[in-house]
Amino acid sequence: MGLLSIIRKIKRKEKEMRILMVGLDNSGKTTIVLKINGEDTSIISPTLGFNIKTIKYQKYLLNIWDVGGQKTIRSYWRNYFEQTDGLVWVVDSSDIRRLDDCRMELVNLLKEERLSGASLLVLANKQDIQGALKPTEIAEVLNLSSTDKTRHWRIVGCSAYTGEGLFQGLDWLVQDIASRIYLID
Amino acid sequence: MEDDQSEANKQSKETQDLAAHKKHTEMLQRLSNMHHSRLQQTAARRSAADSSYPSFETVQSFLSRFSDSKISVEADLQRCRALAASDPDAKPQIKAELDKVSASISDLERLVAETSYFLPPYEKFSFKSKASSNRDHPSPLVKEFDDLVGVNTAPQSKIVVTASPGFRNKQGEILVKTFSPEERDGEFSLNDLDSCDVYLKGRFRALFIHRLNNCHIFAGPVLGSILIEKVNGCSFMLASHQIRIHEAEESDFYLRVRSKPIVEDCKGVRFAPYRMFYEGIEKDLRDSDLEEETGNWAHVHDFRWLRAVQSPNWCVIPDEELVALRDVSDVKGKSFDQD
Repeated sequence: MGLLSIIRKIKRKEKEMRILMVGLDNSGKTTIVLKINGEDTSIISPTLGFNIKTIKYQKYLLNIWDVGGQKTIRSYWRNYFEQTDGLVWVVDSSDIRRLDDCRMELVNLLKEERLSGASLLVLANKQDIQGALKPTEIAEVLNLSSTDKTRHWRIVGCSAYTGEGLFQGLDWLVQDIASRIYLID
Repeated sequence: MEDDQSEANKQSKETQDLAAHKKHTEMLQRLSNMHHSRLQQTAARRSAADSSYPSFETVQSFLSRFSDSKISVEADLQRCRALAASDPDAKPQIKAELDKVSASISDLERLVAETSYFLPPYEKFSFKSKASSNRDHPSPLVKEFDDLVGVNTAPQSKIVVTASPGFRNKQGEILVKTFSPEERDGEFSLNDLDSCDVYLKGRFRALFIHRLNNCHIFAGPVLGSILIEKVNGCSFMLASHQIRIHEAEESDFYLRVRSKPIVEDCKGVRFAPYRMFYEGIEKDLRDSDLEEETGNWAHVHDFRWLRAVQSPNWCVIPDEELVALRDVSDVKGKSFDQD
């Protein structure tokens, strides 16, 4: 038995899930993670590098990797791809000018073989800001309907500021991953 | 004896002086040579740069250059394919060939990066906002570029997005916006402004700044974040929870910020504390959770300088150059809400 399969077995026993949060800078990744974890979100500096949070969620242990989105560090995203069960793509729904950049970065990410098995949750963040695009509009701009048929994906509108929509999104992601990797339950 | 002695001393002193003088002249000569050759190098570099840049500083020539390289890369790939099909032992040869191809692709990427500053704006979607569709950014050209790089664009969709509120494409104007209570939860954009003074009074939720030249921006508190990209020769008076500054040059930032501001790809940017006033700003700052001077304006993170020593890209504005507290209560100007 290879080391990898032993690690996988252990992971299964503890019901761990590895979740990777990515998206352009200023989309609200860190704020989302802290809000989910019930922490103070009033002072958050742009992420230089990454943060890891382990959160107990339902009967699962989520290892959430929140990786900085500035241009300089986007090329390091790939270092975090291995063993990812769930991918969360965060969008600033009020940043209309950069939606095209956002789509291209997502397209590139989804080409990645190491992420091919990961469930995709798109969080259309900042719904609390007037003028933000609705999740259906974001889905259309990002052309999500043309996503590979084998990919499990969903888009959910949310606000990291108020907390709205976050658990709805996370519930779907966790259930979807669980139904894929914990067949015995 | 004493005379002899002093004569000898004098002579040796003279020799020393002479030697020193000679040394000095030589050094001057060397310095002048160095200076000369440096000048020559600079000139050579400049002329090389001149010949490689302006010659294709048009979109048309960029496109033709791009498509030439693309065709050549495709031809190389085709050749590799043919070779692989015809000769199974040609692996090393193909590998060398592929290395060459990947080098050409890197060159191509660099070309795109270098020329991106004059290429047509990126604000292109498969849907077009009503306001922008009749502006002067030609979308067919952009499309063509898209096809060239092989980006999968979304199929034409029917979404119409109303342009977000903001000031766009103005030159030499004074622009004033006062946020009403109904507008406090909205965002605001400043795009493509040249030599304008902009006053944003009241509080709001998010500010996007893109491509400003020689402008002065004074803004009330922003509950949320401010994103700044591509500004040159500007000054900013800003208060927000998060501030990100990209590709700024020779600009001053007077900030109040709850977290640490960041710069990325910036040069010659300077920082100082926020000093702006209008009637009611105290309440707006309080309501935006920005009444406290955190001192973070001086704790700038440079994403291009991850070392412990001070980044050469930014500094603090010296006291004697600080502008005075700016009272913008009575500033009047043109007010274009939507554009």
